[in-house]
Amino acid sequence: MAVELVTGNHAAGYALSAAGEANRNARGAVCGIYPITPQTEIVEYVASFPFTKGEVVPVESEHSAMGVSIGGSLAGARSFTASSSNGLAYMVENIMVAGFYRLPIVMVAVNRTLGPPWNIWADQGDTLMLRDFPWIQLYCQDNQEVLDTTLLAFRLAEDRRILLPVVVCMDAFIVSHTQMETELPPQDRVDRYLPPLDLPHRLRSEHPVTLGGLVWPNEAMFHRAEIDEAMDRVPEVFAECQSAFSKVFGRTVDSAIETYETGDAESVLIASGTIAITAREVVRRRREAGEKVGLVKIKLFRPFPEAQLRAACRSAARLGVLDRNYAAGAGGIFWQDTRATFQGSATTALIQGYLTGVGGGDVTPALIDAVLDDLMARSEASRPQWMGLEPPKEDIA
Amino acid sequence: MIEIRVHGRGGQGGVTLAKLIATTRFLEGDSVQAFGLYAAERSGAPVQAFCRYDAEPITNRNLIYEPDHIVVLDPTLISAAITGGLKPGGWILLNAPEPPERFREEFPAHRLATIDATAIARDNDLGTRSVPIVNTALVGAVGRMLGFELESVLASVRHLGFDGGNLDAARRAFEGLRTLDEFVSSGESESTLPAPTPPRPPSFLDGAGGALPQIRTGQWASQQPRRQQMVPPCNHVCPAGNDVQGFLQALAREETDEALDILLRVSPFPGVCGRVCPAPCMDNCNRIGLDGAVNVRQLERYAADHGTAVVEAIAERDEQVAVVGSGPAGLTAAYHLARFGYRVTVLEAGEELGGLLRTGIPGYRLPDDVTDREIDRIREHGVEMRTGVEVDRERLLELARSHDAILVATGLQELRTLSLGTAGAEGVIQGIEFLERVHHEEVRLDGERVIVVGGGNTAIDSARSALRLGAQRVTIVYRRTPNEMPAIGEEVDQAIEEGIEIESLTLPVAIRENCESDGGTGGYLLTCRSMELGAPDESGRRRPMEIPDSDFILPCDRVILALGQSPDLSVFPEGTEVREGSRLLGLIETPVFAIGDLATADGTVAGAIGSGRRSALHIHETLSGELMEDVEHTEARRHVDVWRDEVVHPEAMRMHLFELAHRSNGAGLSPWERSWNFHEVHQGLDNAGEAKRCLSCGVCNECDRCVTFCPEGVLKRVGNSFLFDYSFCKGCAMCASECPRNVIFMSQI
Repeated sequence: MAVELVTGNHAAGYALSAAGEANRNARGAVCGIYPITPQTEIVEYVASFPFTKGEVVPVESEHSAMGVSIGGSLAGARSFTASSSNGLAYMVENIMVAGFYRLPIVMVAVNRTLGPPWNIWADQGDTLMLRDFPWIQLYCQDNQEVLDTTLLAFRLAEDRRILLPVVVCMDAFIVSHTQMETELPPQDRVDRYLPPLDLPHRLRSEHPVTLGGLVWPNEAMFHRAEIDEAMDRVPEVFAECQSAFSKVFGRTVDSAIETYETGDAESVLIASGTIAITAREVVRRRREAGEKVGLVKIKLFRPFPEAQLRAACRSAARLGVLDRNYAAGAGGIFWQDTRATFQGSATTALIQGYLTGVGGGDVTPALIDAVLDDLMARSEASRPQWMGLEPPKEDIA
Repeated sequence: MIEIRVHGRGGQGGVTLAKLIATTRFLEGDSVQAFGLYAAERSGAPVQAFCRYDAEPITNRNLIYEPDHIVVLDPTLISAAITGGLKPGGWILLNAPEPPERFREEFPAHRLATIDATAIARDNDLGTRSVPIVNTALVGAVGRMLGFELESVLASVRHLGFDGGNLDAARRAFEGLRTLDEFVSSGESESTLPAPTPPRPPSFLDGAGGALPQIRTGQWASQQPRRQQMVPPCNHVCPAGNDVQGFLQALAREETDEALDILLRVSPFPGVCGRVCPAPCMDNCNRIGLDGAVNVRQLERYAADHGTAVVEAIAERDEQVAVVGSGPAGLTAAYHLARFGYRVTVLEAGEELGGLLRTGIPGYRLPDDVTDREIDRIREHGVEMRTGVEVDRERLLELARSHDAILVATGLQELRTLSLGTAGAEGVIQGIEFLERVHHEEVRLDGERVIVVGGGNTAIDSARSALRLGAQRVTIVYRRTPNEMPAIGEEVDQAIEEGIEIESLTLPVAIRENCESDGGTGGYLLTCRSMELGAPDESGRRRPMEIPDSDFILPCDRVILALGQSPDLSVFPEGTEVREGSRLLGLIETPVFAIGDLATADGTVAGAIGSGRRSALHIHETLSGELMEDVEHTEARRHVDVWRDEVVHPEAMRMHLFELAHRSNGAGLSPWERSWNFHEVHQGLDNAGEAKRCLSCGVCNECDRCVTFCPEGVLKRVGNSFLFDYSFCKGCAMCASECPRNVIFMSQI
C-alpha cells in the first residue's frame, strides 16, 4: 500500500471518496458539499474525485448539504458529507433528521471552536452538541486513524443491526492541516471492505411510500426504543468491523477505548483526540520514573462505552478526565459521562474533571504533567479545573 | 528528533517549505510532520510553519517551542524576536542577499546561513513579480545547511509536483548557500528569550469581541495601491484638445449640460466638429478591439444640439488683440482670448464669417444655422467681428501698432493645381472655388458628366455637391485607392451609396476639348494614366507610380480639382518662416503669430481649433505671465496620487470586465432621399445612451469596483476622492486587479 505525506483532511477526503466509489455497482455515491474552515479541503477532495456513479452537489448551506446526503441515502446511495463548528450548528435540524431516518450517512467533522467570538482552532464542543441525537460518534488522534475510522464508519453504519449515521471527528489543524505519513489503501481493498449498500427502507419508485410521516406517541416511543437497541449493539458490531478491517487492510484500527498502562495504575487519565497521544507520552515518561499512572483513550463517544471503561479502570483510585470542550453550567462532557458510567458501580474512584485546550490551546506535556500532579495529590474531587487559564478562574471577577 | 520553525508572510509558501523539508526526510524513511500555524490573517501577515523529523515514529502533536533551526523567508522579518526558543548553536537560515557575517552581531549565539532566494525565485519566474515564491529555493538551502544530499532535495521537489524553475532554484540555492559555521557559546541558553507572560485577555463584556483589530496590518504590506490618472487615447489624439473622455462620461451620467460645458472650455465649435470632424479619437478608441469605437462624433453633436451651457469669462483685461481671418482657428483664438478678458477684434476679408466652415463645407454636412449658432456664442463673449476687411502687409503693420497682439489665421489660400495643358482649361475649376459658388447658389450642373480629381474631403464634398446640382454622372479620379483617401471614411461610403464612381489608381495628365466639329460629342476628354502603389512614402501611404503606356481617356463636361491647398504668405515679409508659436514681424514689438492652417497646414477643423486655442493660451501667457493650462487641468486630476502623461493602451484595460454593446449610429437620410438636395444627411442620435459605451480609459469614473472588492474594507470613496487606509491595507492588490480602467496601480514600498 502506498504511504504518502498528506494532511488529515486529505486522508478523510480519500476515505470518503473511496467508500463512495466502492458503491459504484449499486446505487453509487452522493455528497452534498459546503465549505467551512478547517474542513474545506475534504469537500474539495471529494468534489474533484471522478466518481464512476453518483453525484457531488455543491449547495448554499450546511443545512442543504446534509439535505442532499439524506436524499441520496434514502435513494440508496452511499452518502456522506463534512462540516465543522458553526456550520454543524446550522446543519443541526437535518443532522437529527438523518439519525431518526436511520440512514447510514458518514460525516467527517473537524472539531473547531464554536463562535462567537471567532476562533478556528480545535474544540470538540461542535460535535458534542450533537450528543443526544441518534448518531454514533468516533474521535481520532491522527491522519491514519481518520482514514481508517472513516472506512470503518461506513461498514458500521450500514450494518443491518445498526443503521445509524456516524460522525468521525478530528482536531482542527493539529490533525486536519498537519502533513503526516499515511497509508492510502487501493480501491480494490476498499471495495472488499465495503460491499454494496442495500438499505432496507430505501425509497423505490415502483413502491411509493411516505417515510417519516405523522406517527402516534406509542409508535414514536417504539422507534426510540429501536434506536436504543441499535445503539446497544454498537460495541459488538464495532469490534467485528475492526477485525474485518485487519483482515482486509493488514493493519489494526483503534478500539472503542484504548488503554495504556492501566493494569495497576492508581491514577488514570481519560482523554480523546490528539490530547490522548500527548498524554500517552507523559504517562510513558512517568511510568519510567516509577509512578503508577495510566491512560484510557476514548474513541467511541456515542454510544458511551460504559462497560469497557469500567473494566479498564477497575483498579484505579483516581480518574482524571481531560476535556477539550465545555458544557455551560456543567463542565467537560467526557467527564460528565465518565461520572455517570461509574455511578452505581463497585468503583469508589475519585473522578476529577479538567478543562484543557478549550478554545484550541496547545495541550502540552507540561500541562498534562500539571493535571497528573493535581490528580495524584487529591483526596477528594472538586468542580472541573480550568487548566492553563490565565488569570486563574478564581481571579475572574 | 529535529524540529524546524519557518518564519514567513502569508502567501509566501512557508507551509509548503515545511512540507518540502518534511518530504525530503520522508523519502529517506523518516517519520515526519509538517504544519502551519493558522489564523484569520491572509496575505502578508507574519506567519509560522513547522517541520519535525525523526528516525523513530513521532508522537508529539504540539507546536514547536524550542526549534533546533529556523528559516526566515522574508528579509523584513529578520529581528532578534525570531530566535525565541531557538536552541543554542542552531542554524538560522536567512533569505537575504548579504553574506552571513553581516548578521553576526545580531545573532551571536547561532550558526548563520544566507541565500538570496528572492533573486533566485525571480530568475526562475517563480511566483508573481510582486510576490516571488521562494520555498523551492529555500529547501535547497536547508538541504545544504543540514547535510542532505542534493538528490534527496530534488526528489522532494519533484515528489510535490514542482518542476522546471523550481528544480533549478533548489539546485542553485543548494550550491550557492553561504554559511558561517561558528557561534559564541554562552553556556546557558542565553539567546532563548523567556516565554512572555500572556497579558490578561479583555472580558467579552468589555466589548473586546467587537473591537477593531489591534494589529496595524498595513505594516505587513510590501506594496500599496495608488490612484493615477492617465491619458485616454481619444484625448491624446484630439487635434482640438478636447477632454473627450470627460464629456462622454458626463453624457453617460445623463448630464448633457455638463458635457457641453466640458466641450466649450476647449472648443467653441462642438456642433461643427460633431458633424465634420474626421474623429481620430474614434480611430484610436480602445473599444475598437472589443466591439467597435464609441461614436464620439455623433455624441459631440448630441451634446452641442441638446445641451445648454454658458462658459463664463475668467477675467477682464485692457489689452487689445486683433485676429485676421474668421475661420475656425481665428474664431477659436478670439473666443478664448475673450474668455481670458481681452478685447478682441476679428477681421474677415469676405462678406461672411466662418471661413471654410461657411464656404468649404456643403450644407448637407454642416447646415448654416449650426455655424451661425456657434459664431453667435463667440460674439456673446464680446468679440467684435468685422467683415469685408482685407489685410495686406501694410495693414498688418498698422494693426500691430494699434494692438497688443495679432493673430493671423488666413488659412490655406493657395490652391494646388495639376498641369493638364491649356487645351481645355475652361473646363477645369478648383474644388474650393466650386464649393464657394455652390454655397452662393451660383451654379447648376444638370445633365453634366463631372470628374473630381483628389481624395480629400474637398474632393468628396465637390463630388456629392455636383450630384446634388443635377450632374448626370460623377466620377472621382484618385491616384491611390479608397483605402488611402484622407477623406472621412463614412463620407466616402455615403458618396458611393449615392452612386458616385471612384476611378482608383488613376492620374489625369491632359485635357482637351471633345469638339463636335472634329467628330466629338462635346465636352472634354481627360487623358488619364493608370498607377500602381509602390513603397510607402513619408506620409506612410504607399506611393503611386505611373504605369507606362497605360493612358486612357475619360469623356466629361467638367473637371473639378481638389488637390489640397497651401498658405498664402504674401502678407509677411519675404522669407518669413511661418509656423505655430514662432513670432513674426520680428522688427516690431507687438507679438504677431500665425495660427491654424496657415501655420500648420493641418487641414481639419479640429486641428484649426487646437491651434487657435494653443495660440490664445500662448498670447495670454506672453501678455500676462499666467499659465492657464495648469488652472484648467486641476479639476480633471480628481484627487489622484499620480498624473501620468502616458496614453492608456488596450492591453492596460481589463476588457473582460466590460459587457459587449452595439454601437449606435443614429439615423440618416437614404441615398434616394438625399442625393438631389442639400438637406443634412445625418440626423443625429436620439439619445446619449451610446456614451455609456465609453470605457473611461485611465480615468476613474467612480464605478466603485475597487471599494466593493477591497477584502479589508479599508478603501472608501468620499465624493470623488478615494481614501486608502494604509495603516490596515495589506497590499493584496485586489483593488488594482479589479479596476477595469488602469486607475489603480501597486507601488512597491
